[in-house]
Amino acid sequence: MSPELHRYYRSLAADTDERVLPAPDRLRRSADRWARRRAALTVLAAAGLVAGTVAGSQLVLAAEPGPDPAPPPAGTPTPRPSSVAPSAAPSSLPPPSPSVGRTPGSRSPVVTTTPPAASTPTSIPDRAFFVLPAANDAGTGNYFGPGPVLPVLCGASPGDERVVARRARSLPYRRAGATADEVPSGNYRHSITIYRSGGAGAALAELRAAVRACPEQPARGTPPVTVRQRLLPDSGYGDESVLFETRTPYRDANGDPSGGDEVHLIRAVRVGDVVSLLWEQGWESTSTERAQFDADSRRAVEAVRRWLD
Amino acid sequence: MRDANSFDDFYRSTSGRAIRYGYAVAGDPAEAQDLVQEAYARAWRQWAKLAAHPAPEAWLRLVISRLAADRFRRLRGWRLAASRTGPPPDVGPPGEDTVLLVGALRQLPPRHRQALALHYLFDLPVEEIAREAGVPAGTVKSWLSRGRARLAELLPGVAAEELEVNDVA
Repeated sequence: MSPELHRYYRSLAADTDERVLPAPDRLRRSADRWARRRAALTVLAAAGLVAGTVAGSQLVLAAEPGPDPAPPPAGTPTPRPSSVAPSAAPSSLPPPSPSVGRTPGSRSPVVTTTPPAASTPTSIPDRAFFVLPAANDAGTGNYFGPGPVLPVLCGASPGDERVVARRARSLPYRRAGATADEVPSGNYRHSITIYRSGGAGAALAELRAAVRACPEQPARGTPPVTVRQRLLPDSGYGDESVLFETRTPYRDANGDPSGGDEVHLIRAVRVGDVVSLLWEQGWESTSTERAQFDADSRRAVEAVRRWLD
Repeated sequence: MRDANSFDDFYRSTSGRAIRYGYAVAGDPAEAQDLVQEAYARAWRQWAKLAAHPAPEAWLRLVISRLAADRFRRLRGWRLAASRTGPPPDVGPPGEDTVLLVGALRQLPPRHRQALALHYLFDLPVEEIAREAGVPAGTVKSWLSRGRARLAELLPGVAAEELEVNDVA
């Protein structure tokens, strides 16, 4: 290791942390303003070029000597700025290719223009997400960010076309009684999705169908691993709920089966047009502990109810 | 349709790391603020697509690296737009170690700075750095080794021994 260089970089990091960037909404406004300005400048430049070309050609034609007055250049198109502007307006901003050898995933949050029922909100605040009790707090906080909200289900994307808004976070947790210096006991991928009116029930039905239609599938691993999915009976959560498990054989360091399965639970709970989805992902091959998962599912539902009330 | 909530979440959770990276790559704190903001502005303009990217933070770092490599031309537009919002708040002077490190980094090629920053600030393994930079892992090992050897010449107290395997793995 090179502790000296680490020390230098730590110093740089500490000094940088004093420098604050603007709030995200301010940055978005500036970015949009600059994009509009650039588009307007492009249009103006194109219009100026056309106007200059037309004026120039008229001057040249007017200066031409001849016995007869020059007839109007009937065959010459006389484009006006207004007819040119639309083609020049969409000043395309080509995306810098993210050449990191990765392609966008297919499970993108889809935003439709159809609103949900009048009483359903269209954005999701922080308070809609449950807070872990102190005994389960891994001390890592939570990370809101993009990424899949469901395990892969043979390529299905249940309910995605009905989404109005979605937020998702990763939330490491600790089982009660675990010591503070242990790694987290597991990680939740927790998402809340607002569907357009009536869409949440249909999304859950599609989720059930997707799990049934995908009892097993290959997963990444060497040697190849098969992951199995199955629905589990569930009731007592929200207006309705879907519970299923993913199951993979434990492997030793050589990749050989070592007995038993690594099991993870996923529960989607509908409250009106909102679905709270809790996906327990484990931590370094731990399996889901049902009692903890059920308790946190109830916390998730309660937080959504409090938000919607 | 771009989702402002998810962008704001992404911005809040990554901007601290992004500006550290910008500083380590560009070698100037004000420059780093400008190019990191420009990178986020580009991210926002393409957020409808980028939100589904498997590694948006890696995408952002790539943009920051490119902006840093060609900063004067690319940042002109952003500076015009940002000049209306006034200067950023004053901050204290950097520490002695930071001044020495930044001075030394300015004498390194941009690719070496990028690899060192990904290694020392993000703890990324060689394979990840290679994927992000779009080069073979051996090239990254070479950048790290040569970059560190050069820093050892320029910085007091940094041993000049060969990189150990676990230092770059």
